[in-house]
Amino acid sequence: MSGMNHTDSSDPNGGIAERERETVVELRDVDYTYQAGGPFAAAALHGVNLEIGRGMLIGIAGGTGSGKSTLLQLLNGLLLPTGGSVRVLDHTLLPGMKKPKLNALRRRIGLSFQFPEQHLFEDTVEKDLMFGPLNFGLPREEARARAAAALRSMGLGEELLSRHPLSLSGGQMRKVAIATVLAAGPEILMLDEPTATLDSAARRELIALLNRLCREEGRTILMVTHRVEELLEVADRWIVMHEGRAVFCGDADELADRADELSAWGLAVPEQLRCWSEWTARLPQLAALPLPRTPEAMARVIAEAVRGSRAKPAASDALDERIDSQERGHDLCATN
Amino acid sequence: MRDKLIIGRMIPTGSRVHGLDPRAKITAMLLFTAALILSNGWPQLAVLAALSLVVLAATKVPFKTYLRTLRPMRWLILFVFLFQLFAGAGAEAAAGSGVVWTWGPISLSGAGLSAALLAVARMVLLIVFTAMLTFTTTPSMLGRGIEGMLKPISRGGTGAERFSLMLRLALRFIPALLEEAQTILKAQAARGADYEEMNVRQKARLLMSLLVPVTVGAFRRAEELTTSLEARGYRIGAPRTSYRQLLWRGADTRFTVLFALLPIGALLIRLIS
Repeated sequence: MSGMNHTDSSDPNGGIAERERETVVELRDVDYTYQAGGPFAAAALHGVNLEIGRGMLIGIAGGTGSGKSTLLQLLNGLLLPTGGSVRVLDHTLLPGMKKPKLNALRRRIGLSFQFPEQHLFEDTVEKDLMFGPLNFGLPREEARARAAAALRSMGLGEELLSRHPLSLSGGQMRKVAIATVLAAGPEILMLDEPTATLDSAARRELIALLNRLCREEGRTILMVTHRVEELLEVADRWIVMHEGRAVFCGDADELADRADELSAWGLAVPEQLRCWSEWTARLPQLAALPLPRTPEAMARVIAEAVRGSRAKPAASDALDERIDSQERGHDLCATN
Repeated sequence: MRDKLIIGRMIPTGSRVHGLDPRAKITAMLLFTAALILSNGWPQLAVLAALSLVVLAATKVPFKTYLRTLRPMRWLILFVFLFQLFAGAGAEAAAGSGVVWTWGPISLSGAGLSAALLAVARMVLLIVFTAMLTFTTTPSMLGRGIEGMLKPISRGGTGAERFSLMLRLALRFIPALLEEAQTILKAQAARGADYEEMNVRQKARLLMSLLVPVTVGAFRRAEELTTSLEARGYRIGAPRTSYRQLLWRGADTRFTVLFALLPIGALLIRLIS
């Protein structure tokens, strides 16, 4: 796995210094209330402050009803904030403003929604894929070429182009839904729980694809998930939403430091973080190291640390046992 | 879209109207409608309006909310007004006497205007009163109420139960379908086809394109719902008890009797004049 190589490097962002990044998304004290002023008003976001730099891969985690989806819909102007300000690229969205023309923004920031079957509306896959590019003013031929290319990049064959979207399998539908967004070639790509209906192989493929889009093509990716572990390896930044507030904003190392708070935020603590916090408690020299992003890298780091500490006689028998199973290279967390 | 259509959802305020038996409220609703149809003058309508104001105030739902239910109906109300003014009761009245203004085949009179306004006032009262019923009663209670009212008529058959299940599912589907349509509109907006930025022709075309996916979605939902009902052992006509029994109290009787007086009064006034 690619993550094997950069366990010790302190900068997972490919060498670009943080402060040189252009800020593409900036939220200042953003509130959002659904049906504001009506009898069914329901607050979804409270005082959210965020900044996202260009070319980053951001994981947005949070339990159900924490405001993740609302956050994404604010960023492309589907919803206007009811308080604060939202700046995305060169557009600023303010509460109560007359709804501006947003196509110029939406061409550059694509959103793939949570339930693909509710978002495919044309009668063939090809028409659905071409819908965005055509609306954003591309000529028909180019839109067609983009549609085919987007489908290929999701690992789907062109034989699907003539099929009805709702006749696809759940996994195919999800990939087509993401391809419809990719077809327009957005600079910022937002995905709302894209891995929810995928099997584990397809999930890994999708994450690898997102990682490629981010690293090779410089696109900014915002991915909502409630499985922190699936994005731990590739995400540059994490945003944790809880009850409409952004309660955490930082990288995986900081997230690992606060692993014990995750369950209070309505998230399952990833096995990898549980394992790491257990080992760092046992071997204090590990605590100074950054969180190894993949299980393999973590195994290596722990094995080295254990070998180092075994030289001293302090290691207990129990620890030796762990090291043995550890060196066989499996079940890192079986005891927990 | 959904926040514009607020009728059909219960607003819990715990008022005394909320606590009334759904059967009493449905009966009152029917009686109120009958009274509306029977009243043909401003005095009767004023009595109905006054009574509904009292009931609306008793629900503790803000008055503004009731006004909001009228907003989606404004074009229909305008249509009814114009139609009555030029073609219906207004034209009849104008044909009689007191023509104030004529333009080609169109003529206006004070009586015509009054008749058209009367039609609008009736419609407004009907909408607001229906809103009162749905704001104070959950769909399931409404269904139970209708079931309870139909039971004596259907004489032990399953007709009442079928009908109330049908009604309950239909009520459940209205917000679900609206939500589905809205989701698709959002997906289209995200991909560069924003409904709110379009001209009338583009809007019409976009709405047409919603028909197929929303219908397909409705069928899919219906199928899933049937399966889920069956999977949980639902059987039409099976003996069934309720967690919350409908209980008819003194207040329900008083409420119904009050509303029973309305159509009787309206009928009497009509007979006398």
